[in-house]
Amino acid sequence: MAPWLMVALLLVNFVLMALDARESSSGKLVVRSWTQTVADFVQSPVTTVSAAVSNYFSSIANLRSAQDENTNLKQRVQELEVELRQKDGLSNENERLRSLLQLKDESKYKVLTARIIGRDPSAWFNASIINRGSLDGVTLNMPVVTDGGIVGRVTAVSPLTSQVDLITYSKSGVGGIVGEVGATNALGVVVGTGKTDILEMKYVPGTAEVEVGQPIFTTGQDGIYPAGLKIGEIVNVTRGSATTAHKIEIRPAAKLNSMQEVGILLYQPPQKPEFEQRVTPDQKKK
Amino acid sequence: MEGVKLTIAIIIAVVLQWTLRNVADFFMFVDFPLIIVVYAALQRNSIRALLFATISGVAVDALSGGLLGASGFTMTVIAFIIAEAARRVYLDNLILRIPVIAGASILNSVLFFGIHKLFGQEPAGSLVFIGAYSLIGTMIGGTLIFLLLDAISAGKLKPRKREMFAQRRQTRRRNPIRLTK
Repeated sequence: MAPWLMVALLLVNFVLMALDARESSSGKLVVRSWTQTVADFVQSPVTTVSAAVSNYFSSIANLRSAQDENTNLKQRVQELEVELRQKDGLSNENERLRSLLQLKDESKYKVLTARIIGRDPSAWFNASIINRGSLDGVTLNMPVVTDGGIVGRVTAVSPLTSQVDLITYSKSGVGGIVGEVGATNALGVVVGTGKTDILEMKYVPGTAEVEVGQPIFTTGQDGIYPAGLKIGEIVNVTRGSATTAHKIEIRPAAKLNSMQEVGILLYQPPQKPEFEQRVTPDQKKK
Repeated sequence: MEGVKLTIAIIIAVVLQWTLRNVADFFMFVDFPLIIVVYAALQRNSIRALLFATISGVAVDALSGGLLGASGFTMTVIAFIIAEAARRVYLDNLILRIPVIAGASILNSVLFFGIHKLFGQEPAGSLVFIGAYSLIGTMIGGTLIFLLLDAISAGKLKPRKREMFAQRRQTRRRNPIRLTK
């Protein structure tokens, strides 16, 4: 009995894996989205309770340093007040100039805030689960950001939750540029290394000027992330030559290990021209 | 009664696996469902162990970035091997069970990594690094959980204790041939 049951269960698992692998390439993750939805009913309340307990104990621990922090914060408030007055002046000036140029103040993308309700239970992957799903308007490949910089993209969507693959995942790739878009020609691809605190930028021409400490921004050419979002800062450069590319190590701008809340950009990349779109096998046959 | 205890244990194990990484990163290296599956397989009830393995594996995979069913597959194989081994070899001693947990952890890592490679999915970590840390975490966690589960089943506590620290039997031998008077 047991050997037959084992064979049957292995077959079930194998079919699940095959379906999941097929779905992940096609983008329609039906099986995964439903299993996630079922799991969410248990995971979400448990995470809320465990987070509350964890926060309670950490708040007790933090009380010790609260007095020092209070002094520092008072000083910081004073500094910020001065800064705010300066910015008020700049804002007024900006308003005047805008009205002169008759520019409309409109934000580029809508941001949907989400809470991280779970992290990957397996040590082999580093995905995060957020509490927004297709019912909130989230779709596959939407960029996820924090106030620091980009976090990753949505890789699976269920009605109530979504799964986010971080930019540090070794299979992720983001089109990046050293410095502001249009200011330099140091374009490349930022890929994950599997480590949580280091990214790697590839294909930057060896002749391009790059320095440690320079910021890296998205170019918008990958068809997922809009241009101008901060990816991170250069921490190490292995210089290339006229024929070899630089090898650049980047520290992500977003605090990927400690983030609690993220923003999902409800952004749809512009449609590519027809010649750039992928040709399906059926079209090839024709 | 044993079945109810193990069912509750596997549910708690899955919930812990889902949530403990939020509390501390180290817990990702302790494979709670695998520990309970190994424990269930050592009870010589292979059908229960196989069902636990598949269900808990799929539950963990549902919230993971990996392939759905990969953990279920690896844990089912491990459950079957251990259940069959437990029927043939004496493995009721805690000292003997520690290498079993270690072996299960290593096999789990190798199979999980291999399956993902086979399906063209690259896991985020290296086999050696994650395999080694999982081995340490699962072995420590497994030993403690095994002790706890043994202690909970109070009826079995006394024999287990005796088996755990089995004393060498000292038999008094008498030489039937007397060389001297």
